[in-house]
Amino acid sequence: MAAAPKRIEHGEPEERQIPRRHMLAWLSGVGVVGSLLTGVFSSLVFLKPRATYGQPNRFRIGRPEEFPPGARMAIDTKRVCIVREGDKVAAISTTCTHLGCIVAPSATGFQCPCHGSQFDVDGNVTGGPAPKALSWFQVTLTPSGELEVDKDNEIQTGTYLSV
Amino acid sequence: MSKEAKSKGKILVDFPTNVVKSIFRNPLPSSDRGRAATSFTNFFLHIQPVRVSRQALRPTYTMGLGLISFFLFVILTVTGILLMFYYVPSTTQAYGRMLDLRSSVAFGVILRNMHRWSAHAMVATVFLHMCRVFFTGSYKPPREFNWNIGVALFLLTLLSSFTGYLLPWDQLAFWAITVGTSIAGYAPFIGKELKFILLGDATVGQEALLRFYVLHVVVLPLVLSLFVAVHFWRIRKDGGLAKPEEAELKPKPAATLAPAEGEPGFVVSTNITAMEVDPVRRFSIQGLVRGPFVKVGKLEEDTVFSWPNLLIAELFVLLLTIVGVLVVSWFFNAPLEQPVNVMHPPNPAKAPWYFLGLQEQVSYSAFWGGIGVPGIELLLLMLLPYFDRSKAGVGRWFARQRILANSLFLVFVIANVILIVIGTFFRGANWQFVSPF
Repeated sequence: MAAAPKRIEHGEPEERQIPRRHMLAWLSGVGVVGSLLTGVFSSLVFLKPRATYGQPNRFRIGRPEEFPPGARMAIDTKRVCIVREGDKVAAISTTCTHLGCIVAPSATGFQCPCHGSQFDVDGNVTGGPAPKALSWFQVTLTPSGELEVDKDNEIQTGTYLSV
Repeated sequence: MSKEAKSKGKILVDFPTNVVKSIFRNPLPSSDRGRAATSFTNFFLHIQPVRVSRQALRPTYTMGLGLISFFLFVILTVTGILLMFYYVPSTTQAYGRMLDLRSSVAFGVILRNMHRWSAHAMVATVFLHMCRVFFTGSYKPPREFNWNIGVALFLLTLLSSFTGYLLPWDQLAFWAITVGTSIAGYAPFIGKELKFILLGDATVGQEALLRFYVLHVVVLPLVLSLFVAVHFWRIRKDGGLAKPEEAELKPKPAATLAPAEGEPGFVVSTNITAMEVDPVRRFSIQGLVRGPFVKVGKLEEDTVFSWPNLLIAELFVLLLTIVGVLVVSWFFNAPLEQPVNVMHPPNPAKAPWYFLGLQEQVSYSAFWGGIGVPGIELLLLMLLPYFDRSKAGVGRWFARQRILANSLFLVFVIANVILIVIGTFFRGANWQFVSPF
């Protein structure tokens, strides 16, 4: 019976101790989970390259005279097709909008060898699984008189540069 | 003098034996206790239970598919490490190294063949193993989490083979990765970022090759090994391979074997049927197994000792796997297409057979075929054991009580097989429908 009041005496400090332990456990948990999340996030940031080693998206393709009127020249290394109609020049992407294969110019426009997407001469989808038309890229004339294609700059289908 | 000499002599006499004894704590077992202890004291054997149900050993029940998958993974690890010694993850060198394997590396061709064919086989056996687990109802509680580990292992297997076939840097590799990462690009919200991080660049090139190489040789095998370990551990903790409820079992005549004379408390018998232990004596043997799952007094009648029954079965499956892989690798060379030509995709550009179902789906809609439908299928597979919780028909092939679930899964399997068959045989240039006949 003598033990009973003793227990009550010690009850109070014990009650204070338990929240402290819980607090430490909680803090440790938050710390560990936080470190984990920070680690995963920074790893993803690390994995996303800030500079790439591939070819630049803006490049020169030569003088307008190299493309006679009516020409449709696919430059596969750059993945664009240079179209010239009269005095107007445009650059159409040859990367299929479906899954990134290279489309080949055909009699009716463009055709993709991978999954059978078909496009008309302007790059609009006429068949197959492609979800949208081939992109048109901005073409400018540099001061030196060369044509420059900027693949970062998509323009509306049917927009030509007069040369 | 004589005492010391004697002890020295004893050391010498003991010499080879005490080394062996230090390695193998147990002599070759001649008693049931020994058989239990052999499984128990050996690091490699203790992964297995001391006793295993006869059902689990029946070849027609499991067909050894999970084990074959594991052994294929071991073969892939060994051959993969060897191939790494001669491989360079560089766009200018990788293809040349493939040719070097043929011309100037001893066993180069057979190693590459083994690696490639084992990878193909592993995709098949992991999938068939999943089918076995489904059709025997083995995914049901308490095995629902292990089923999900298995689904993760199937995905990891597919990812490993996907990252693997970029490495030769041939036409198939390049265009398969172009298509594959484009599919990733269709993922909602994170698609574009995911594709960029996977490729490390805007297009498939040196960065992508390096990234896929690291994923293939380090990241994925490591994660896969971890999941395999958890998968195996959970088999034990979830009560071994799924077996029918005791009520469903036919009553068996009690074991008639009387405990023979020997060490008190242990059954010793020279008869091979002594693997069936007298139920009275089982307490002492099960007593070796500590932990919360010891079922004293409620022991399955239909079990045998793992040593040697399970071990022999496993060694036989291992032999079968090695022989199978070697025979196929001896007669068929792993394909190697033309070196990468960034300008001209082959027409048609086909993935390996196990991705052709996906490619066929993708040819209808990139998002739905590549992300939507596979995502839903995956989700259904993962949630399945949490919805289908009836205990009926577990541990038997095509149990009548499970006719609905089994039929639905069969439809899923057949649909995918049909898609693969169409993609493989019925698609020609520009992915047009062609007849193979």
